[in-house]
Parts: sequence; C-alpha cells; structure tokens
Amino acid sequence: MTIFRLTTKAAVIAAAISLATSAQAFDPSAGTGKYKDPGITDKEIVIGLHAPLSGRLKGFGFDALYAAKAWYDMINKRGGIWGRKIRVIVADDKCSPTELVAVQKKFVTVDKVFLLHGGSCTHSAVAAQEYVTRNKIPYVMLNASGDSAVFPPTRYVFGSFGGSQRTVGGTIVDFAVRALKAKRIAYIAHDDNYGASNSAAGAFMAKKHGAKFVVLEKVSRKIVDVTAPVLKVRAARADVLIITTYTGPAALIVKKAHALGLKIPIVAAVQAVPLPGLFAKNVGNPAALKNFYYGSPLNDLTRGPKQKWVIDMYKTAYPGRKPNPFMAYGVPSAQTIVYALMMAGPNPTRESFIDAMSKVSFNTGILAGPIELAEKKRDAHNASIFVRFDGKSHGRMKGVYFNEYRGQK
Amino acid sequence: MTGTLILQGVASGLVTGSVYALIALSLVIVFKSTEVINFAGGEFVMLGAYVAMFFLVFLGLPYIVVVPVTAFIAFAVGSAFDRVVLDRVLGRHRPGQSIMVAMVIATVGLSFAFKGTVRLFSVSDNVRTLPPIFSTDPVFLGEVVLSKQDIAIFLISVAVMLLLFAFFQFTKVGRALRATSENPRAATLVGIPVRRMRTLIWGIAAALSAVAGVLVAPKLLVSPDMGGVIILAFAAAIIGGFTNVLGVIVGGIVLGVIENLVGLFVSSKAIAIAPFIVIILILMFRPQGLFGGAAPIKKV
Amino acid sequence: MNAIDRRWWLGGVGLIVLAAGLYLGAPIYVLYVANLLMTYAVLAIGLDILLGRAGQFAFAHIAFYGIGIYTTALITNNTGLPVFVGIAAGGLLAGLVGVIIAIPATRLRDVYLALSTFAFAEAAQWVFNNWDSVTKGPNGLRISPAKLFGHTITDDRQAFFLVLSITLAVIAATVLMNRSKLGRAMSAIGQSEHVAMASGIGVQRVKVTAFAISAVYAGIAGGMFTLYQSFIHPDSLGFDLIVLILTMVVVGGLGTLPGVILGVLLLGLMPEVLRNLREWQELIYGLILILAILFMPRGIWGLITERRQAWQARRVAARPSPVQDET
Repeated sequence: MTIFRLTTKAAVIAAAISLATSAQAFDPSAGTGKYKDPGITDKEIVIGLHAPLSGRLKGFGFDALYAAKAWYDMINKRGGIWGRKIRVIVADDKCSPTELVAVQKKFVTVDKVFLLHGGSCTHSAVAAQEYVTRNKIPYVMLNASGDSAVFPPTRYVFGSFGGSQRTVGGTIVDFAVRALKAKRIAYIAHDDNYGASNSAAGAFMAKKHGAKFVVLEKVSRKIVDVTAPVLKVRAARADVLIITTYTGPAALIVKKAHALGLKIPIVAAVQAVPLPGLFAKNVGNPAALKNFYYGSPLNDLTRGPKQKWVIDMYKTAYPGRKPNPFMAYGVPSAQTIVYALMMAGPNPTRESFIDAMSKVSFNTGILAGPIELAEKKRDAHNASIFVRFDGKSHGRMKGVYFNEYRGQK
Repeated sequence: MTGTLILQGVASGLVTGSVYALIALSLVIVFKSTEVINFAGGEFVMLGAYVAMFFLVFLGLPYIVVVPVTAFIAFAVGSAFDRVVLDRVLGRHRPGQSIMVAMVIATVGLSFAFKGTVRLFSVSDNVRTLPPIFSTDPVFLGEVVLSKQDIAIFLISVAVMLLLFAFFQFTKVGRALRATSENPRAATLVGIPVRRMRTLIWGIAAALSAVAGVLVAPKLLVSPDMGGVIILAFAAAIIGGFTNVLGVIVGGIVLGVIENLVGLFVSSKAIAIAPFIVIILILMFRPQGLFGGAAPIKKV
Repeated sequence: MNAIDRRWWLGGVGLIVLAAGLYLGAPIYVLYVANLLMTYAVLAIGLDILLGRAGQFAFAHIAFYGIGIYTTALITNNTGLPVFVGIAAGGLLAGLVGVIIAIPATRLRDVYLALSTFAFAEAAQWVFNNWDSVTKGPNGLRISPAKLFGHTITDDRQAFFLVLSITLAVIAATVLMNRSKLGRAMSAIGQSEHVAMASGIGVQRVKVTAFAISAVYAGIAGGMFTLYQSFIHPDSLGFDLIVLILTMVVVGGLGTLPGVILGVLLLGLMPEVLRNLREWQELIYGLILILAILFMPRGIWGLITERRQAWQARRVAARPSPVQDET
C-alpha cells in the first residue's frame, strides 16, 4: 500500500470522525435543555481552571491553582452552590499567549465549561480578552496582575486578585513617602509589562505627594551585572531605593547597593521577596539588609498566624506537599467566583454571573484589603502591607496602603 | 564624579567579565578541538551548581570534597555524552558536509534534558545560592570598591585560564589535542587516538563548566535557567577569537566593561542588547575577533 | 492516468474532504490548533529552504516572523486595507530585511553565521520589546480582526479557509521553486559550495536569494498569525520558538517537503499527547531530540523513505529473472 493511499484513507477517516463527533459542536453557546448556557446542569457547574503547571514559570501557577481547587473542593463538601457541585477541569497554559488561548478554546468549545478561571501571567491573560469578550464568556483570572486587561475595564474579564502591578508601584511609593519620608526616589523595575505598569503608578503617587523620581532604571530579567543602575542611584543622591524586579535581580541589587556603600533604605515589591529567608541567603550579607523593607498583598507575613488557615487548608487537601509562597494568591479569585455564583441565585446564567460579579465586595481573610468589583472596576484588590526585614526577623509596619492610580494623567 | 563612575564600572566589569570568560573557556576548548559549538555549555554550569548544592547542603560535605567530586561527575557526564551521542553523529558525517545541524540539535537536546531533569526537583523552584566561600566584605582600591568575593572570583578565573593555556601549550596531551583540532587526519597518522582525545576534551570541558558553576553561583544565582548566561559567554569568545584560550579572558573583560559603560551612559535597558550588537559588529568587521589569527575561511 | 498522478489525485481528494470536515464540523479549538499548525508549517518550510536546501545555518527566522506579525497587525489596525495587503507587506518587509542581513552574513562560516544570525534574532526581540511607540513594547500589541472584501474575520472557523489557502499556495510555490533553476542551484550549494561554484553558480547571489525567500516565508507566516490571533507579545518571539521550528524541520526530515510537514504535525501535536506528563515534557523533548539525531539523522521522513526503498528493492529482487540461467 503506497504512502499516499494510506494518507488518503486516513484523511477520509479523520474527516468522517470529525464530522460525526462534532455535529453538536456547531453552536458552542448552546446549552443542554433548559439551561441557556453550557456547563451548567441541575447537579453541577463546570469551571475551566488553568495556570502555568510546567516550565520556568510553574512556581507562579502550580500551588495557586491547586489552592483554588482546594477551595472549590471544600465548597463541594459543604453541599456546593444552590445544590450544584463545582466540577473543575484543570489545564496547563504554560504562561504562553498561544497556549492559554488554546486551553480556553478547548474549555469552551470541547469541554463546554460555564466560566473560565485561570492565568498567572499578565501577557498571556491579555491574549484571551478578545475571544472571551466576543463570545461573552466570563473570564476570571487566577493570580495574574492583569493590568493591561483590566485597565480599561471590560465586561467579561476580571483580574488583579492579588493586586495589579499598579497596586504594587503605587503602594510602594506611597509607603516610601509617608512612612520613610522620602523625597528623592530611585526606582528599579524590569523592562517588561510589569515594570511599565508599576513604574507608571509609582510616578503618579510620587507626584501626588510632591516627591520625585530621581532615577528610573529598567533592567532585563536576565541581567547579570547590576553595577550600572546601582551606581546611578548612588550618584543621584536618592533617599530611598525601590526595587520591583524579580527575586534574582533584586538580591543582586541589594548586594551591590551594600557593596557600593549605599546607606539609604531599600523597599522591595512582593515579587522580589517571595521567600524572605532564602532572599537573605542569596544576598549573603545581613549587613545589606539593615534598612530593608518588602511589600506584600497579604494581611500578614506569608507564614504568619492570619495565614495559617489557608496553609492548613492546602495541606489537608494535599498531604505531604509543601506550598510555595504564591499558593495563597490562588484562593481569593475562587472565593469571588463562589460568592458571585451564590449571589446570582439558583438559576445563574453567564450574564447574571457577570452582573453578580459587578457587585462583589467582601473580605477574604487572606489579603490586606477587600475584594471590590464594580461595573467599571475589574481590578479586584488594591492594597499592600509592608514588612521590615533584617535577614532574620520580620517586623510588620503599621498600616495598610492603597493605590490611587487609575490611569489619570 | 564621572571618573569614579567609569572606574567603578570598569572594575566591576573586570569581575563579571572574568565570569563570562571562565564559562566561555569550556566552549573554546571544545571548539578548538572538535569544531563543535556546545549549546548545552550553560547547562553544564547549572548542573555543576546543583550537584554541588546537593553535596554541600543535603549531605553537608565541605567544599574541599565537593569541588573535586562535582568535577568528576561532570567529567563523566560530558565524556559519556561524547561517547554515546557525538561519536555516532560525527562518525556518520561525510567530509565536506556540515555537521552543524546535527551538533546543534544534539546539544540543544542535551540542554533541555538537563533543564527538564533539574526542574523535576522542588529545590529548583526557587532561586538559590551556594554556601559562601569568600566573604562579601568590601575592599577599597582608591575610590573603587570590590568585595573580597569579587576579587577571588577574578583571580581564580584568570589562574584557571592561564593553567589551561599552559596545558595546551606545554603538555603532551595538550599538544595532542591541538593537533587533533587542526588536522585530525594528520593526527591519526602520527598515532594520536583522535576519538579518545575528543572524549577527553568533552570531559575536561564539562568538569571546567561545573567548577565554574560552583565559583560563580553567588554572582549568577542558581536556577534551572542559569545557563542563559551562555550567550554572554559566546560573545566573550567571539570578541577574543573563538579559538584562543587567552583571548577569551580579554574578550570576557571587554564585554563586562562594555555592558557597564553602556548601562551608565546609554541606559540600563540597553545593557540587554549590547552583547548582540557587539557580536554582530565583530562578525561583520573582524570575525576572527581580537586574537583569532587569520580570518576564518570556509573549509570545503 | 499513471500511478503517480493517481496518488496525487487521491491525496488531493483526501485533503479536500478533511478540510471540509474540519471547517463544517470541528469545534473552534480544533480549528485554532489547525490554524496554528499551518502557520508553523509555513515557518518550517521557510526555514527548510535556507537550512535544508541551501545548507545555510541561520537562526534569524523568528525575527522575520515577528516583522511579519507586527507589520500586518499595524496595517490592519490602522488602515481599512484588505488583509492581503498587510500580509504581502509583512512578507516583503521581512524579505527586505533578510537581504540586508544576508549580504554580510553569508560571507561567514557555518558557526559564525549561526551565531551572528542568532544575535540578530535576539536584537530583534529587544527592538520589539523596547520600540514602544510602534510595537507597544512589553505591553504587547492587540491585533484587530482582519478585513477582507467587506467581511471581518472574527473567529478561527472563518480564518481557517484563508489560512489553508495561503498554506497550499506556499506549498505549491515551494514545489515549483524546488524544480526551478534557482531551486536546483540552492540544492547544489547545500551539497557542496565548492562544486557549485566550480559549475558556474553564483554562490553568493543564490545564498542571499535563499535567505530572502526564507525571510519572506517567515513574514507571510507572521501575516497568517494575525488572521486568527488577537494579541502579540515580544516574549513569544524568542529562542523557544526557533528551537521548536528547528526541531520540527530536523525531526521531520531536513530538506524534504513532506518530512517538514510531518515534523510540524508530530511535534505540534506532541504536547497534547504528553498532556498527562506535564512535568516531564521538557526532559522528554530533550531526549527526543537526542534520540532523533542519533537514530533518524534524516528525520522520520528519511526513515519512511528508506523503508520504502528497501521494500521496493526486495520486491524487484523477488521477481523472476527474465533471463534463463545457464546451467
């Protein structure tokens, strides 16, 4: 049998199968029987849950996703929502835009889910926006900051459940000015979309307080030698150094600042210090952390008493697994979805779910501030706390800081 | 004021440059002897750091034991790869035909295999460093300041490179290796076991990379993607001249200094593109680098 | 109709049936994956022209892909022109940049050609990420739906038809080119530059042409991308993608059109097959590359061709001899 004949036969069979099994796929928005939307029956509601579960960025999504799933499992154990159990389908979006879109299209057109929940990386979450808006499918991000997909707000996309990058930048400058009395601010961010968003918010809050950026440096995520930006900070006689990079570059910057004799306070964003103990080891010299603070969207230290219940919930659901510091960030979005489904009443539709989401306001017991959504507000959380850290002990600084930058000029 | 900035930029650039050069050294000795570009070079560095981490942190052994053990393990892995994979691939190719494609695929595959394996262990989930060997206390050289760690890294890198240069120049094995790279057929005629030489060189290069990984861990920090620094090592090798062991030191230092000067006087954003511009410019105008001898003519 | 023509005929019918089946009945997800694979196919075929045919080891392919995507997207976003114009513009601009790069680059030896084109690709990615005013930099660029003769393409099903047409046109053009004088010259250079030069081929000129054509393919693939994707980010245009395309070409069958297409299908669908082995995917991928280069140096298609030839040889040997033995 020649190759081509084989191929032709295979093609015919494949076409026949695709026709046969996809006949009902023709209209993906058609539901089963009495329900207008797919993914909902009398007994269950189906949620498509995705995050990076493999590869370089696995740390941002894996534990967060399974924490969200643990929340859903807990709700199911208590009887579900309006008598329906939540059925979760899990997928790996690899933090890649093409992959995330593929995963969501599969969820919607093959698995027939009711709503989409997932995404830990902003740039891949943004890729989904057009598809979910055009097809009117609710998309709630997991723990992605999501700035460019929630500013400006659109009807079907919700995000920033751990805070947007604007929150990060705005609150960190707010803290530096109000608590540390800074007037000349040095700010080092990455040259990615996070850096763009958080530095814009930071600049706004500085101006609002009458302080100014004397240094704004954007460095690559792969930077090896941070001498140049730190030298510029020293030369500009800043009175505070703010770092919103990831943890590797941040440790190198703190090390270099100490080596070059910088004595000013340093404030780092949450993404720079996910595991403070490890961060201190990477810096290597406790003297470098004499005047060091970090921010966090949580209501306590990562392993503090207020966070115990989340960690316990995770450990009960997955005995033997030790959660990473981003785990808790996966829960607020799940809490919000459950809350809105309850508020939407016994017969929710996708639209009534969206309407309920637009009225959400509650306290998570995990985050520094409340979750608040509205018709024109799709970024859920906007607060940070700050902690002083000397390499060994943490001291929670007074107050909760809120970001005020919403795109004003 | 600007003078201080420049001096500091140069001083720190010297240290970072020596890191690049040390890593590039493995690339250069492999290329010199086998005409193969090892795209997994960075991953050997990463592997060395993680293997050392296992012995140091998990088993609590001292550096004096861990470094040779790590080097030995790396030597075994590198020479095994040459024996099992490269031997076969190189044995198959017809003279005059490019082996580049096969080499790239094989070494890229190896790099993914290493990274994939390391990522299976949860210790790799977070960026780490190794227990410190040298202190980070500052040393003042006029207005310029470097840490003791920096100076140690610089001196050790230079020492290793000089040792390797001496090895290639003055020892019997080293000269045999040079002979095999310059003219494998003639080398065979003189009785040099070419295949075994190649396996040896891969082993040495792997061991070198692994030890480099241990040394530079505090500068690069240890993560599965730490091998990305290989691009800067390539740039260092190209600047110096890809076949020149001493040239590599100069190449690395030049690159490290350029990065800092670009960061100071252009912008920090531009640091990321500087090595690529350098590569393109050098290959356009002086492809043999600073010390590569005659321009590389195509061998047919 | 002889055997070969009949095979092409059957193949064509099969393809039409498959395409119709997909278009009419498949879920959007399947069509999205099909569109993606066809885009990768055009990318892979373009890379193969330069790498497999002309034997030039150049790593700049994804930079041209990016130029195609951004050019087409910007034209679609800012003008009312039909998307064909955008795609053609993307291809042409990519080709132009390709020529500019090729003239100096092709003077370099293998290794240096690879490194310099790789440096160019990284530099291009940096430009995509930092040229905020044009590409919107690290925030990524949203792509408006493509317009064509009054219709707007709003989903994968509508895009499928156009993507398929372009892919078939590209394949047809490639077949024609391979048989042309240019194609044969490229092949000759790929086998041995020295011999090619001796037989009077203008080696430098052909190399630059191969480079340019390869870049045009990548640019067109970029245009195809905009038909069914609504967003592009510089992070998508880096090392990982060139490795993927390179793998598809080499594991499928370097220098052979059916091999390359096979490689795209296999490696494009592999993540789906390995879905439950998520954590192992990277390691498995690396092992596949090593094993492929060890045991299938001419790719899977090479393996299939070898088997077929061996089988045919056996068939010929088994036939009774027409000549009487002299006993």
